[in-house]
Amino acid sequence: MNFKAIFNSTVFLKSVFALALIILVFISSFSYFHTLSFTNTSKWVFHSYRVSMELEQLESHIKDAEARQRGFNLTNDSVFVQGYFQALNKVNNSLAKLDRLVAGRLQQRNNLDSLRKLVALRIDLLKNAIEETPEEPLESNKVNLYQLLGKNMMDRIHLHIRSMLFLETVYLKEHEKKYNDQISFAPWLTFLLLFFSLIIFVAAYLKINRNLHILKKANKRLVIISESFQQAEEIGNFSSWQWDLDSKEMIFSDNHYRLLGCRPQSFEPSIENFIDFVHPEDKHVLIEKRDKIISGKQLSAPAFFRIIKKNGDLRYFKSVGKVLTDIQGKKMFIGINRDVTIQYLRSRALEERNHELEQSNKELASFNHIASHDLQEPLRKIQTFISRIAEKEDASLSEKGKEYFLRIQSAATRMRVLIDDLLLFSRSNKAEKNFELQDLNLVLENVKIELAVPIEERKALVYSEELPVLSVIPFQMQQLFVNLISNSLKYGQQDRPPVIHIYCKIIIASEEAVLKSESYKKFYKITVSDNGIGFEKEHAENIFVLFHRLHHLTEYSGTGIGLAICKKIVENHNGYIFAEAELNVGASFIIYLPK
Amino acid sequence: MQNETIKILLADDDSDDRLFFQEAFEEIKIKTIVQTVKDGVELMSYLKSSDQLPHILFLDLNMPRKSGMDCLKEIRRIDRLKDMAIAIYSTSSTEDDIEETFVQGANVYIKKPSDFLVLKKLLSQVISINWQYHSSGLNKSNFMLSL
Repeated sequence: MNFKAIFNSTVFLKSVFALALIILVFISSFSYFHTLSFTNTSKWVFHSYRVSMELEQLESHIKDAEARQRGFNLTNDSVFVQGYFQALNKVNNSLAKLDRLVAGRLQQRNNLDSLRKLVALRIDLLKNAIEETPEEPLESNKVNLYQLLGKNMMDRIHLHIRSMLFLETVYLKEHEKKYNDQISFAPWLTFLLLFFSLIIFVAAYLKINRNLHILKKANKRLVIISESFQQAEEIGNFSSWQWDLDSKEMIFSDNHYRLLGCRPQSFEPSIENFIDFVHPEDKHVLIEKRDKIISGKQLSAPAFFRIIKKNGDLRYFKSVGKVLTDIQGKKMFIGINRDVTIQYLRSRALEERNHELEQSNKELASFNHIASHDLQEPLRKIQTFISRIAEKEDASLSEKGKEYFLRIQSAATRMRVLIDDLLLFSRSNKAEKNFELQDLNLVLENVKIELAVPIEERKALVYSEELPVLSVIPFQMQQLFVNLISNSLKYGQQDRPPVIHIYCKIIIASEEAVLKSESYKKFYKITVSDNGIGFEKEHAENIFVLFHRLHHLTEYSGTGIGLAICKKIVENHNGYIFAEAELNVGASFIIYLPK
Repeated sequence: MQNETIKILLADDDSDDRLFFQEAFEEIKIKTIVQTVKDGVELMSYLKSSDQLPHILFLDLNMPRKSGMDCLKEIRRIDRLKDMAIAIYSTSSTEDDIEETFVQGANVYIKKPSDFLVLKKLLSQVISINWQYHSSGLNKSNFMLSL
């Protein structure tokens, strides 16, 4: 799997998304706890201020009470007593407030307890001073003692409050530092959160956009494919249908209706509606298949059945299909129907033709037997009797009788040649063909040896180019060359010895006009050409027809079978044979054998 | 062999062929006794009942009741007869017939000629064969006898 495929895979995208989500949750929760602790810190800062303020007030209230007491002692005015009690109340209030404020801090609470004791002592002292006053002004030395004691206590209270204030300042500084740290970190955190969210948003947007583009392209392709498939259905005479085996819903393609001779989507697609069109004798075929599909089995073989179209035409259909199971385990049957009427009728015609051919082959075989045995038998006896008479009874025949007898003899000989040639022809028809790789040069050498006597007699010259090694039926190839060369020897000019040339080259089918072919198949073109009497061009085709002869027996002997055998042999090798000639100049036989 | 009479047996259903065969041997200057049977069934009963076996059996292939091929197969299975020289004497010269008779153990194959002189020559050639020598060196190329 390459990088791009990994990048586009669902698993990859899902894990990236999950990771992004985790990071976002992490940053958010971090930010939340940070804010929480920040709020806490600021609360503590505020708290320290309040404690300090309250302590200052406490001290001032005590001083106030002290001042009232002193005023009373000096003036004995009861207004001062009233003020003194008010101040005392404030001191108590202040202490109660402080009590609440320092509840959470052990050290300050202990300090407050000691402070409270100090204050209580001081107040006791103040109380004594006031209670002793009413009858007569205090002696100055006694006042002085009270004042000295009071001042001493006040100093202690003051010192104690100072120490408490100091402690509170320490707390405050601690919290202020923390507060400052946190307040400087907060914008970074916000920025990080924003930045990261932005990246995820942009990436998600790009990905979605890209996917949308791909989806659009895929959609466009799908439309094209669906269009071309519809056209293919029309041209190819087939149709498709889908059957959702869970929802039982069915879809027929437009051509499905056309094949039945109906307008597209003109009736509800269902198996039953389709079976209505099936030939009554074939309905069971489809019903069986339908039940098989419903039970979830795969269909083993295509179905063949007949359809009666809306207009009453009879058509032959072939249907194939299979059950598909998708990722969710849903089963769907996908089927293809094809109108195979033309193919069916053609193959039936072909079968009939084949049958006829088999028949005629059988007849040919029996003819072969007749020719080879039954006809030869009486002829052989006739010839043997002829040889007996020629040997023993010749002298007792009259001149006329001798002449008739000679004619009988030559007629019997000719019949022998005919039967032998016919046998050769039917042998070249034989179905069993044993192809072997054979060097045609060697074949030609053998032919020259076989025809050595007539070649010698006619003082003929045979020239040949290099011939190929081909997969052939050896005895037939030999027969082919024997027939062609003996033809050239037989139909030579009286006044000059035959000269036979055998040419060979490789050609491409489409470049040879006579082959009437467009293909680029390669052929060996072997030409056997002579300087004999030739023939007129109009005979070029029918000289290959069985028993067709161009000359009278008296001029040239022959059965009219030789070239028919040649044609048969070349056709057995999937080749072609043609003749070209000019009267009194020569003839050429051109053989094309596939390379 | 020249000094003793050669016993020849021909199995052929065709009377003309039996006539040519006998006349040919009459004209050959070798002492022979020619006997004939008309079909395969007659041939087999003759061979089984006779005390003296022929030196050479000429066997036509195409005969009614029992064909020459069947006779050949049967003879080669019988111990007493299996070494007898057998010349196939037939109108047919198809590859199949030649091949099959060779495989089944015939010693020589003659195609019935359409000339009496040729017949005489072929037959005299057959009876002058040294069978012991011929059989040991028998192959498909010398199996078919021709002039």
